Amino acid sequence: MFINTIQKTAKMLAVAGVAISATLGAAVAEEYPDKPITLVIPFGAGGSHDLNARVITSIIPTYLNQAMIVRLTPGAGGQKGTSEVANAEADGYTLLFSHNYLDMLKQYTDDLPYDPMNDFIPVARVNYAPIAVIVPASSPFQTFEDMVAAAKAAPGSISMAHSGNWGALFVPAAQMMKSRDIDLNLVPYQGGGPAMQALLAGDADVSMGFPSVIGPLLDSGKIRVLATSGPERIYDGIPTFTEAGIEGDVGFMHRVVLAPAGTPDDVVKKLEAAFTALQDDKTYTRLMGRLGENTDLLLGEDYQAMRVQQSENYKTLVDAITK
Amino acid sequence: MFEMFLDGFAMALRIDTFLVMIAGLFFGMLVGALPGFTTLMAMAILLPISFFLEPIVGIPFLLGIYKGGIFGGSIPAILVSMPGTGAAVATSRDGYALTKKGKSRKALDIALFSSVFGDTASDIFTILMIFPIALLVMQFGPPEIFAVLLMSLIIIAATSGSNLIKTVIMMLLGLWLATVGTDPVGGVERFTFGLFDLRSGIPLLPMLIGVFAIPEVAKVVMENNMARKLANVLGERLTFAEFRRCFKTICRSTAIGTGIGTIPGLGQVVAAMMGYSAAKNASPTPEKFGTGELEGVAAAEAANNAVNGPTMVPLLTLGIPGDNVTAILLGAFVAQGLRPGPQLFEEQGTVVFAILVAMVFANLLFLVIGYLSIPIFSRIVSIKVSILIPLVIMFAFAGTYVFRSDSIDLLMLVAFGIFGIIAKSARFDVMPMVMGFILGPPMEYAFAQTVAMANNDYIGFFMGERWGAMLVLILSPLVGFYLWRRLRQPV
Repeated sequence: MFINTIQKTAKMLAVAGVAISATLGAAVAEEYPDKPITLVIPFGAGGSHDLNARVITSIIPTYLNQAMIVRLTPGAGGQKGTSEVANAEADGYTLLFSHNYLDMLKQYTDDLPYDPMNDFIPVARVNYAPIAVIVPASSPFQTFEDMVAAAKAAPGSISMAHSGNWGALFVPAAQMMKSRDIDLNLVPYQGGGPAMQALLAGDADVSMGFPSVIGPLLDSGKIRVLATSGPERIYDGIPTFTEAGIEGDVGFMHRVVLAPAGTPDDVVKKLEAAFTALQDDKTYTRLMGRLGENTDLLLGEDYQAMRVQQSENYKTLVDAITK
Repeated sequence: MFEMFLDGFAMALRIDTFLVMIAGLFFGMLVGALPGFTTLMAMAILLPISFFLEPIVGIPFLLGIYKGGIFGGSIPAILVSMPGTGAAVATSRDGYALTKKGKSRKALDIALFSSVFGDTASDIFTILMIFPIALLVMQFGPPEIFAVLLMSLIIIAATSGSNLIKTVIMMLLGLWLATVGTDPVGGVERFTFGLFDLRSGIPLLPMLIGVFAIPEVAKVVMENNMARKLANVLGERLTFAEFRRCFKTICRSTAIGTGIGTIPGLGQVVAAMMGYSAAKNASPTPEKFGTGELEGVAAAEAANNAVNGPTMVPLLTLGIPGDNVTAILLGAFVAQGLRPGPQLFEEQGTVVFAILVAMVFANLLFLVIGYLSIPIFSRIVSIKVSILIPLVIMFAFAGTYVFRSDSIDLLMLVAFGIFGIIAKSARFDVMPMVMGFILGPPMEYAFAQTVAMANNDYIGFFMGERWGAMLVLILSPLVGFYLWRRLRQPV
């Protein structure tokens, strides 16, 4: 009986082995991608990158004919996941879903075990979001200039809730402080949610938020926007960073898919084509729209130019703040 | 308002809602029972399914996974002393002791009943009091979180054992281990010795499995009796009289859990420990806690499940997720075109109430699913140890690896396992260390935030704006001393 089972198992294993090697043999001849692609997210579950990635990975298989699997690898402020992809084989089967601050700013604040510029190439900037400077509705600051005036009158008296040092809310605040020569009391919170809660509870005087997050609170009149990043106005009558004298490409969160440097051109082209095809996918645009995200795609080379620019801006900013 | 509630109630009574909830609960329980797999991961992976379902089907599915998962975590904690999450640590204390006494079925039953009761009561309370809770939540900021965490640590130290010095040594060790890695506020590396693997800190799972499961495994192995079973009998189910005896404890823990749920960022671990400590304090026989007391399991389980209701409040009323689980739920809501925030109840009140009512139904369904599956799970203890122990070791290592897919974690598991064995033989309780390790980082963070908020005017800040936190800080050593005196066993 026992021997029988072993024999049976052995036979089955042999059959399985043949089948696997046959598939592998066939696979070698096939084109990229012939196995699932892993998308590493260097952040925790439930964050905006996670949600965005769930939308992307549930639709992109239609255009790649392969699954794309999300792997969350948080740790060391994003370094863990990033270095994992930096060390992965450059075959297009391991990609990184990052953002501009981790990608280009962290190199100036931390001693990284990888070189972001030389170890990675951008595949696609999936979307971007401008940031808004916000105050609670009860705030005495009606305009951005009110806040600047108050900060000048009593340096450090205004508290600004952000989502962690050198994060998406910290960098625009730092740039604001540098450009307008003001001093805010920066209070860290563990993520944008807690920072927003601090603002609403009156623990913080000022904070920042992305339009997708602040929408319902703005509509219900609980908060007021003082300024938004970039050169173009987003809300009627609300000045932009450019108008408010805050220069540089700061205050934008770019969500970007990166591949290890050395990934073959034809592989990158295929991935770019799939991301381009997403733009016309109705389900994709609908789901992204509901998350409050745009679908403003930038392909590898175009984004690379922005990366170079970001790298310079961030270096100046970090030097100015930490000096 | 009441009309919306009634419409919502009717809306939730759908056969497909119930079916997906059953699927979610069952799946969540399995995932929760496997160490290394977290409900958070399961929810994140299955989130896209909810994108393509109706809101009243898709969101209950995710809620089902969440609720099933919390109970699932108690199963290995009770049966093989392997808590997969911090929330199950308190459960495993008396749960595993009951298993060794051959009462594993009773332990699982009381865990199930307490979980379901705690969760249902807190959900109903949340539905009725959602707007008052929303106001209350806004009263808690970093100073209050710091004060409550510090008080929790003091209470844990005071109530966990008779030898206060050993307890404090272990707790300080846990607090120190928690500082290894990148400092969460300033981004400075601490105690990493330049090793990249230590930059993300010491992960929790290898510590939990290492110090709780490995010493028990070692103990069974050293007995060298291969034909033995973990328990000789499968044991009987819980009797109604036993449930009634625990009922007061369950109610107390439910109240504690619900209260802790309204303070953002504290969560299940604190609730379970506080529920456990309170039950021990109230018991006429506190010395029985830790040696297989049904009330111990009931206290921990009711409290950690009662946290769930209030944690939904900031999400629903402000659109602010308090933790990762609610962040995933936020994604599910938003993808459905429901935007949590102040206007959600005005615009989509019926659907929201339907989802909340479905949450209560999920609890009741789980009572049935859990009750039917407990006999299957509890068979584990009837496996001969010569087979069971290798299986437990395999799950310990596999689970540790699956958690982060990082081989360094396996070394940590072995190290913590050896440490656990030594600590056990030297009669050092590892629980205070684990609690220090889990509660240390949020406490440190809240402390740093408080310092930044006070802006160099500490006295004015605490006296003028934060007298609640101040009061807790002043009271906590007194409470700790009182509890320690009361529970100190006569030498």
